[in-house]
Amino acid sequence: MRFFDLWALALGNLAAHRLRAVLTTLGIAIGIAAVIAVVAIGQGGRAVLLAELEKLGTKRAFNISVDWVRGEAPTAGTFTLQDVAVIKELSPAVDKLAPVTSGMFIDIRRPHSRAEPLFCQVIGTTPDLTGVMNIPLAAGRFFSEADVAGHRRVVVLDGALAERLFPREEALGKQVFLQDVPATVIGITERQTGQLLGTMGMQKLVFAPITFTQDLLNTRVIHELNGAAVTEGAVEQAIADCLTILEKRNPGAGVNYTGMSMAESLAILGRATGVMTLIIAAVAAIALLVGGVGVMNIMLVAVTERTREVGLLMAIGARRQDVLKQFLAEAVALCLLGGAFGVLLGAGGAWVIAYFADWPPLISLWTVLLAFGFASLVGLVFGLYPASRAASFSPAEALRHH
Amino acid sequence: MIRVTDLKKVYGHGPAAVAALNGVTLAIETGEFVAVMGPSGSGKSTFLSILGCLERPSGGSYYFGGREVGALDEDELARVRNAEIGFVFQTFNLLPRLDVRQNVELPLIYAGVPRKERRERAVAMLTRVGLEHRLHHKPPALSGGEQQRVAVARALINDPAVILADEPTGNLDSRTSHEIMALFKELHAEGRTIVVVTHEADIARYAGRILYFCDGVFVREEAVTG
Repeated sequence: MRFFDLWALALGNLAAHRLRAVLTTLGIAIGIAAVIAVVAIGQGGRAVLLAELEKLGTKRAFNISVDWVRGEAPTAGTFTLQDVAVIKELSPAVDKLAPVTSGMFIDIRRPHSRAEPLFCQVIGTTPDLTGVMNIPLAAGRFFSEADVAGHRRVVVLDGALAERLFPREEALGKQVFLQDVPATVIGITERQTGQLLGTMGMQKLVFAPITFTQDLLNTRVIHELNGAAVTEGAVEQAIADCLTILEKRNPGAGVNYTGMSMAESLAILGRATGVMTLIIAAVAAIALLVGGVGVMNIMLVAVTERTREVGLLMAIGARRQDVLKQFLAEAVALCLLGGAFGVLLGAGGAWVIAYFADWPPLISLWTVLLAFGFASLVGLVFGLYPASRAASFSPAEALRHH
Repeated sequence: MIRVTDLKKVYGHGPAAVAALNGVTLAIETGEFVAVMGPSGSGKSTFLSILGCLERPSGGSYYFGGREVGALDEDELARVRNAEIGFVFQTFNLLPRLDVRQNVELPLIYAGVPRKERRERAVAMLTRVGLEHRLHHKPPALSGGEQQRVAVARALINDPAVILADEPTGNLDSRTSHEIMALFKELHAEGRTIVVVTHEADIARYAGRILYFCDGVFVREEAVTG
């Protein structure tokens, strides 16, 4: 029996019961769609994490803050600029350490402009931050240690913010008013800096010397320290050094200093997509199981209905393996049909998720092949019993069947 | 061509066992046209399905064309059914979703014959039985006589040496029955061996020899003259 004839007969038999075939494939379609979604979410999530990592720069990065989970908040004595200087002096594991004082919903506008002010998030820090996270500049420069020491009123604007403030002119070198305090734009970042820092991109970022920022916000509170260890392997040591020194220097701070590596923060994000993947994988497994049982059921019905036909096929020369192959081909064809529906459904779903989660939609040729591979496997597994039952008929008895 | 010795067939086991054939010994020569007659339950249909290698005897021996059928494995039996035996059934047993030509092609599919050759041979065979104008009809659209002609074309497609027919006229009216039997007569004239099971005496008289079965035993035979 030739390969083409086998499939022509199988498809012809399915076409004879179109509605039945389509209904049976529904379960498989849902299962395959879920498989596609699992892969897309898994790959999409990983791609997003990798992109964030790249944006944030270094795997040597770590963060020191108080225990936010317990409701602690830093006060003026929690972190000081002297603490930062001492840590950098004492710990050989720490390469860079940037204190951050940040202010949200700071209004920013052009001088003498009647336009509504825009809100931004001011990140007051030191030049060390550029060694911790990537802050790609489109124009100008980042501020220097001298700018920090001199409380200079200079800012680095987010590219999108600069464009909105100065739609038709070059923003570099211009003055802006931050809460009515004039400052000079010395640098402009590329659009959209890291989403993990700041409020997920809702507010545009403005980087300024920490001294100027503290003057502006009238506070001495430093919210957190962002650092980079000398090597990837020294991150744990760097965090431990920071915590030890901070606890020694500020025994009465009344907070729990907490350190977390960038790798850990990403792992937490990764776990979130991991849970999602697991849930959908379970849905996929259940749907494929239920779909497979449906296919098995309908194939058993078909075998019973066509008992006489099997007897006839054997009488005119079909071997047992031909009968087996024919029914297996039908089960696999059913599942592939379901797989095709599922790929459409899954691709649509993945696209929708990607659209709302702002991920790249990741449906590759491999994903589609994987889906069809799964579908064929389900067809083979659940088609085997009905097909072998048909193949085991005695031709004479099958022909007597009514 | 066909030689059976002390052929037995028992269905079931133990006390529920029923003997359908109880020691049949006979021979059918190449080129013979034989009718098998007997009341229902006489074992004539069982005899035919053993001759057709559709089931194996419980005892005795069966030689087909010089080979002991009991020694053949399942795949070899399938090949014999495919290439050396043509079946014709009372209920035609055509596949309703395939058209006439595809039905006739079926045995060639299992013989692995390429598509183009299959079509040509099927069309030629349907022309031979006078159905060239019905190639693309589905069997349910045909009359009983036409359906049986399609079945005969299917039985002949692989040019078998032996045609086995189980009550081929059982579902046909008298005129059509005689047309089908005339077709068998022609096939016999071409040199094929033909075995027809029937319970109608006038149908049996197309054969050259009539074998009578009763209670699973071959009781007597009668040569038809004229």
